[in-house]
This record gives sequence, structure tokens and C-alpha cells, in this order.
Amino acid sequence: MRLLLIIALLLPQLSLAEDAAVRKEVLAAKETVLELNRDLYELERELLSPATTRAAFNLTLNHGEYFEPLSIEISVDDELKVQHLYTERQVKALRMGAVQPLGDINLAPGKHSVRAVVRGVDHLGQGRELSVTEMVNKTSKPLITELVIVDRDDLQSARVQLKYW
Amino acid sequence: MGYLARYVVLILLSCASWAGETIEPTNSLRPGDLVPDFTLPAVNGFGQRLAEARGAPLMIVWLGRCDECSETLVRYQLLAESLAMDGLKGWFVWTPEGKDQPPKMRLPVLKYEPRWNQGWQFEGRPAVLLIDPDGELDHLITGDLDDNYPETEKVLMRWLSLGRDGQISE
Repeated sequence: MRLLLIIALLLPQLSLAEDAAVRKEVLAAKETVLELNRDLYELERELLSPATTRAAFNLTLNHGEYFEPLSIEISVDDELKVQHLYTERQVKALRMGAVQPLGDINLAPGKHSVRAVVRGVDHLGQGRELSVTEMVNKTSKPLITELVIVDRDDLQSARVQLKYW
Repeated sequence: MGYLARYVVLILLSCASWAGETIEPTNSLRPGDLVPDFTLPAVNGFGQRLAEARGAPLMIVWLGRCDECSETLVRYQLLAESLAMDGLKGWFVWTPEGKDQPPKMRLPVLKYEPRWNQGWQFEGRPAVLLIDPDGELDHLITGDLDDNYPETEKVLMRWLSLGRDGQISE
């Protein structure tokens, strides 16, 4: 009888100890998962967009009085790489000075033909298309570019330029 | 975990993320589902993104074959405009076929084109989708738009007056 009583008293203690051990194991497992996630993220960055082949495209709108973008398409060596459709809210943000990251692509070192076509409307509501084509020399360093839509007050028009950061 | 195993996991993850970039056509939307995000160009102004419409009830009229079908859509447009006071937004989605011309409307007429990878096609069109402010599909009314107008009007009025009621109309 005494033995049964002792066992009955000890059982909850044993259960608590087991719970604590399980909690520790779960915590350790969570930490391992977090560590693994960090490693995977680093690996993913290195494999998918290594610095030697990284090319990034950004877009800004300078004033935007004579042109509002509706869409953009960027081709590299005649292959479509980046496309985007604009909403009114996004154009407002661009007008307020936002820099839009259009995307990162992988580009082998060497010379490449980059063509950007921006379709939109002018200040009279007429459909317009701005484009720029440039030969770009990709080195082993990341290529970071900015497409700038600039107003041309003298012609009441706009043009798109490619700048390098 | 060895480097090889990590590499395999990474490749699998990458494949999953690439697969996620292409938005496939859908005909499996059911009331209660979260409607996948899309951005589509409009034939009459700026493109529209579904995620930006969150916070307000939205009626999307996804058109079937439509060649300047403005007459069919006028009633839907008036309905959406008359309920704009209640916060309702209304969009039409048009898919060009052959030499079809888009309807001329005041509300945004979005154009589905497969070349834009930010969009998806609803295969069960023509259909009216009533999407709540959280982006969930509350009602899906499929079939001929002329025939379904009275039903759409009834469901829409009840939906806006009661909020989300979870009832299904098909």
C-alpha cells in the first residue's frame, strides 16, 4: 500500500521532468531549424544570384509631368527578362520619389544588349512608348542599373535613360 | 546535415519558388477561398492589382466572349456605381479573342493577356465574383451575364447590407 502511495506521489514529478526534457528538445530542434534556414538563405543567395552574375534593374520617375508609365519590359540580348504592370498607386509612389526594384537577373560577364520599353500615356492622355537600347559591359562585379524617366520641358515630352550605380 | 543534403533541399525550395512565380489559370475558386493576387492592364487607364483593392468589397465581372459588349455590361456598371457609396468597387475583366474590341465602360476594363505573368485567367467565365474586404471570395455567380443580372443584384444588395454571410450562390 505504501509503495503504491509513493509511486502515486512520484508519478507527477516524473511527468514534469519528462515535459521539461521534451521542451528542451523542442527548443533545440527549433534552434537547429533556424540555423538551417539561415544557412539555406545564404546558400540560395549565393547560388541564385552570385555577385559575379548579378544584374539589378531599378526604375525612377523624375517629375512625371509628361509621361505616366503603365508597363515596362526589359529584354537582354533579345530575351524578355523583366516585365511589370503599374497601378495608379505605384505611379503615385514613383512620383513621390520611390525607387522601384524591378528585379535581379543573372548575367554572365561580357557585353550584352539591354533594351527597355516603357509604355504609358502622355500629359494629353495619348498612348506613348519610350525605349532605350544600350550595350552594357558586365564585369565580375554586380551590375546595378537605374532606368530614369525624365521630363523634357522644351519638347513637353519625356525620355528614358539608363544609369549605372 | 551534410552539404549535399542542404544542396538538395535548396534545389527543391528553388523549384517550388520558381513554380510559384507562374500564375496558372484557375477554375477551382470556391466561396470562402482567398482569391489569388493578380495585376492586369486596363484598356481604359491604369492597371489594377487585386491586393491594392483590399479593404473594400469588390465585384469582378469576368467576361466570356465579348466584342464591344457594352450593352450587356451597362446594368452591372450602374449597379456598381450606385453602390460606390457603400464602398463597392467594380472591375470588368475582358479576354480578347480574334479581332474583338473591348467594351467602352467608365469602370476599369482589365485585359487578360497571357504575356503578362502577373495575371491569371478564370476558366469558369462568364462569372461574377464578389470578394470581401479581406480578399476572400464570398459569392460566385457563374453563367450568362444577362440571365444572371437579377440574381447578382439580389445577392449583392444582401451581401453589402449583411456583410459576409458565407452563403453560396451559383
